[in-house]
Amino acid sequence: MNTSTPRRAVSALLIVVLSAAAALAASPRIPVLVPITGFLSLEGTAQRNGAVLALETPPAGVAVGYEVADTGTSPEVAVNAMERALRDEGVAAIVAPILGTQMLAMLPLAAEYEVPLVTISGTAKLTEMGNPWIFRFFPGDAVTKVAHGRFVVEELGARRPAILYQTTAYGQSGHGHLASTFRSFGVAAVYEEGLDVSVKDMTPVLTKAMNAGPDVLVLHLHSGPTALLVRQARALGITLPVVAGSAMHQPTTAALLEPAELRDVCAESGSSPVSGGSPEMERFVAAYRGRFGSEPDAFALAQYDATRMVLAALADGASSPHAVRDWLAAHDFAGLAMTYRSDGRGNMAHDAVIVCYDGKSRVPRIAKRYEGVDLAN
Amino acid sequence: MDVLQLAINGLALGAAYALVALGFVLILNATSAVNFAQGDLVAAGGFAAVAIAGLVPAPGIVLLPLVVMLMAAVGLVVCALAYWPLRDRPPVAVFISTIAVGIIIQNGLNGLFGAEPRTVPPVIAGGHLKVLGLVVAHQSLAIVAVAAILVTAVHIFLARTQAGRMMRATAQDRPVAAALGVPVAAMVALTFALAAALAGTAGLLLANQYFVTPTDGTNFIVKAYIAVVIGGWGRVGGALAGALLVALFETIVAAWAGHSVAMALLYGALLVILVVRPQGLFGEPVGRRA
Repeated sequence: MNTSTPRRAVSALLIVVLSAAAALAASPRIPVLVPITGFLSLEGTAQRNGAVLALETPPAGVAVGYEVADTGTSPEVAVNAMERALRDEGVAAIVAPILGTQMLAMLPLAAEYEVPLVTISGTAKLTEMGNPWIFRFFPGDAVTKVAHGRFVVEELGARRPAILYQTTAYGQSGHGHLASTFRSFGVAAVYEEGLDVSVKDMTPVLTKAMNAGPDVLVLHLHSGPTALLVRQARALGITLPVVAGSAMHQPTTAALLEPAELRDVCAESGSSPVSGGSPEMERFVAAYRGRFGSEPDAFALAQYDATRMVLAALADGASSPHAVRDWLAAHDFAGLAMTYRSDGRGNMAHDAVIVCYDGKSRVPRIAKRYEGVDLAN
Repeated sequence: MDVLQLAINGLALGAAYALVALGFVLILNATSAVNFAQGDLVAAGGFAAVAIAGLVPAPGIVLLPLVVMLMAAVGLVVCALAYWPLRDRPPVAVFISTIAVGIIIQNGLNGLFGAEPRTVPPVIAGGHLKVLGLVVAHQSLAIVAVAAILVTAVHIFLARTQAGRMMRATAQDRPVAAALGVPVAAMVALTFALAAALAGTAGLLLANQYFVTPTDGTNFIVKAYIAVVIGGWGRVGGALAGALLVALFETIVAAWAGHSVAMALLYGALLVILVVRPQGLFGEPVGRRA
């Protein structure tokens, strides 16, 4: 009946898009919203550092502003931080938190405001909801746990793994993918147990696991429990190889253990910056150490690469959040950790590495690379 | 053999829990209120050791006196902030204020040291003994030895010294103790200092073998609370026995049934004790609970 209503809506939308593009052209901003306090502060700080390092060294011709806000550990704080960041004009994209529950709360807002979120959150559901505004730059369990399981079976030749995992959502998701990978090789775990994050004494679970006669210990635990289990296993004289989750690649986890305790310990990860491998990687590690006084891990590198990809979009002329989103979705980007490309759902990272310690130092070497793991399926 | 191995590990863990529970009971008896910051004082002790070890690279046994002194001072601050202004209010006020202090300690540690686990030098040199097929870590032996020495010292202090007698008098009946000239305020402050020093010692002892993070306190206070309920609310010996029972439950039952089931059984046992024998296994000298 009223034909002017759709026209007005289209006009209003055009005005919003054009004004967003104009604002972006004037002064693009990339707010960094990450958990700097709370139980994920270690990972969140790595995220912040990676993003800040990239933002402080943008490509030639790109001037970009940013501010950092702490999202803590609750979804409400993350949503408030996002709304505050979007009050100002010119937001090209947002560096979004690693914490999955916060991301789930922020996704509807990203769709409403039409702004891309670049994150390293591993929660599988984030890219399964049909939201075109999310881009995940850290390989999920469908990549890392497949690489984890393949290394155990194909490289170590193990057939009797004992799987110890955390009872958190992170642990259970990883356990599911690991068990399924082992099944695909016709391998059944001889022992499996979920551990609460508060468990300090690992002797009981090690005793039970060893009674099952495993040929490898496969871990999918957070940082502290991983180090506790390795230390207590070695103290009990257990010399079985240990293939752990990504927590074990973190320099802060390795720092808890003596090099001798790390002998025959391997870990999956998206990357391992401290292992070097190329002059560019070594320059990144040196710059990170110089700027933050700490060692970079795979989370820091992934967020660095993610932010550099957004900056590359801006450098290539993406002049609105829509254009940035379309650029991220359509282009390949050669980062330091890997080449990123969207699978159509915003999953950008498809490679994983296995790193192993030699028992003499706390710096692991890359033992195996797995490329395009989920793309091959 | 497995059971013996587990018992040895459980004994070390139980010895550290015993120090936490002992401090918890001392404050409970002195103030009739639950100090819910006691677990966070354990974490604070661990981080105090981390900080001191950064300045003075030395074995834990050398760091211990410094940690004890620092944590005793922290205990005085907790007393001044969380207890003394509320001493005439119902015990629930102190209960709430100590929760608040615990949260402040957690966030303060997170801000100062970060969230990642940290470790400290071993109490004595690392390594382990092998006895009849059992592996006994030097650190476990050191934890048990230090805890035993401290518990004995606290017992002698309370039983044989004038200050200890005044502390016990304050715990038993504060108005009467005050009427008899006991410096009640000083005794309560001394109790907080002693409890914090014990918690800090536990933190140092545990931080090498089990690491320390800012949020560890919650776990320790729950264990101490369970130990005190099992052993008898306010009974020092009962709390020590309760702490050992909790630790042995965590190791031996967990090895038999798995950790999740063991924890469910532990909390189930706690409920049964609360219903069937609320005074605890060893009786209850204090009739008033927070």
